[in-house]
Amino acid sequence: MPVRAGQPAVVRPKRGTIAFFRKLVARRDGLVGVAILSVFTVLAIAPALFVGPLETAITATGPRLAPPSLEYPLGTDELGRSILNLTVHATRISMVIGLLATLVTVLIGAVLGITSGYVGGRFDAITMRIADFFLVIPTFVLAIILTAIIRDVLGTGSREVLGIRLSLIVIVFVIGITSWSATARIIRSQTLSLRELAFVDRSRVVGGSSRHIMRSHILPNVTNLIVANSVLVFAGAILTETTLAFVGLGDPFQPSWGQILDAARTVGAPGLGAWWYFVPAGTCIVLVVFAFTLLGGALDDVLNPKLRTRR
Amino acid sequence: MTDTTRASTGAAALSADRAAIRGRRLWPLPKQADPDAPLLVVEGLTTQFTLGGSIVHAVDGVSFTLDDGEALGIAGESGCGKTTTALSLVRLLPANAEVVAGSVKLFGIELRTKSATALRRYRWREISIIFQGAMNALNPVQRVRDQVAEPIELRVGLPRADAVRRAGELLELVGIPKARGSAYPHELSGGMRQRAMIAMALACDPAVIIGDEPTTALDVMVQAQILELLEDLRATLGLSLILITHDLSVLAETCDRVMIMYAGKVAEEGPVGRVFGSPRHPYTQLLLRAFPDVHSGRRDLGTIPGMPPDLRDPPPGCRFHPRCPAAMDVCRVEVPPEVRFDDRVRVACHLYPPGSAGSPRPLPTGPATAAGGSP
Repeated sequence: MPVRAGQPAVVRPKRGTIAFFRKLVARRDGLVGVAILSVFTVLAIAPALFVGPLETAITATGPRLAPPSLEYPLGTDELGRSILNLTVHATRISMVIGLLATLVTVLIGAVLGITSGYVGGRFDAITMRIADFFLVIPTFVLAIILTAIIRDVLGTGSREVLGIRLSLIVIVFVIGITSWSATARIIRSQTLSLRELAFVDRSRVVGGSSRHIMRSHILPNVTNLIVANSVLVFAGAILTETTLAFVGLGDPFQPSWGQILDAARTVGAPGLGAWWYFVPAGTCIVLVVFAFTLLGGALDDVLNPKLRTRR
Repeated sequence: MTDTTRASTGAAALSADRAAIRGRRLWPLPKQADPDAPLLVVEGLTTQFTLGGSIVHAVDGVSFTLDDGEALGIAGESGCGKTTTALSLVRLLPANAEVVAGSVKLFGIELRTKSATALRRYRWREISIIFQGAMNALNPVQRVRDQVAEPIELRVGLPRADAVRRAGELLELVGIPKARGSAYPHELSGGMRQRAMIAMALACDPAVIIGDEPTTALDVMVQAQILELLEDLRATLGLSLILITHDLSVLAETCDRVMIMYAGKVAEEGPVGRVFGSPRHPYTQLLLRAFPDVHSGRRDLGTIPGMPPDLRDPPPGCRFHPRCPAAMDVCRVEVPPEVRFDDRVRVACHLYPPGSAGSPRPLPTGPATAAGGSP
């Protein structure tokens, strides 16, 4: 009997999602995480509401490298652009890259990790050798080369795909294929121990196909690993984007936190005492990663019935 | 698929349907089934393991039958092939094991020669298993009800909602309140988990249920409850049960017939009262002596000196002869034939040759039994 796709989703009622969200928010760490991320999500979706359209951010109007004032609450950069304006607009790019890259990484990592752990044999051997390749080659070097090559093949990115600039998609893609291997390794090792457990045998006896076992028995048991790993990948993705922007492989027309940090370093802002240049972007990165860490811990507890306290 | 409405009408209908067992099952019998054939006939079943180049003769020519509504107990020391015998019926064996000979007939249908794909139709649907160690056999992150529903969904092909509803009814049938079905395994007690495993075994209304030490690792009170549940289910649903256990008292209480196995062979088999009341085979006698009896004043338990033989190279003749206090010369050379006596007890021992009266013979009080210290 083949597993019917989408069947559980139909049966599970919507109030399950609401109950799940309520459980998440009932915890202090979950609440803080959700709150911080909500703020950044709103900023990312509608930056224009708070600081005006993107054009105002990248147009220099003020004095150069001025400290915070009433007109420029977070000061200006070396060209006279408002740091507040830049940082808020950078939220969108950083969040989108972070989220998409995490999604790509975890998707590839989880699918390949579970499959190669469960199926084993030659498929496992080949997949893991490919993973080893990506683990051994320094991520950054590979990312630079890949970005440059893909840019060259696709042409420079002023084209848009699904409303996202092609250059961003290239960055997301590069981060995804350079960092999936660690996730795949972790999930594979957990799958290896799970597949020996009696309930997997039981499911096979009862008539479960490999796909069914991987989906309904292995995947729910590695969900906490996937969530915890996503948090780390997200932080890593933002940092990789930063470094790519630093070597000129970012998109200069779309500011990101990484670009602001690198611009600050290029100008020598720390040496000049221009703390307002890099502190906002740095704080944003720290806050988002922090929120994801909190959320990761809370999700781990809520998703894992064993850790859940009974009321 | 099968008649959905009947399947989902639940436990009450389930018991009513099973009142007259054959032909009124929830799912119709397999097509080629012979209505007059006995439920399960196993003949000369032989299973071997390949272990590091040598062959382990785990089960060697085991035969038995199981009738509708009957409970057969299989007992013996660890490693004597009890579980392997049961799992060989539907070939649920590890990769290095193979059923090399014999025949397994369910409603007269030969299962031994069926291909793996064809056999899958009988697994769980016709022959299901109550696993030992219920904690490991349950997925820790899936609700119990969904796990009980899994075989119904996969094997019978009911839509998920119906399967889950029927799972709830099955859980109620084994004494777990419907509401507790949404619990995760760790939220249930050991006894409840074992009950859930029983519900899972019942899920597809199988013809035969194999209980592989279903009460091991449970405390005595819970053990008694589980056995009582099995008794109840047997009475109401007319289950046909194969019960594997070390615990002879469990067999005495729940089974109609017992089969004592030693080193992959049947030592003695027959109605439970006959085998336990007047054991014939020396192994059965020693095994019973090794068991406490609250009614007798006997204070010391007997032991059987020695170890079960290495099944890679079993001793010639009777496999029990190295440990048998009554061993004769012929035992070392010739494999004893299985002889069935008038009281339906079957014994494989040279003490009871074919044509003999078959009255039980007490063991000589040799050095072997003296060690046990029975008076």
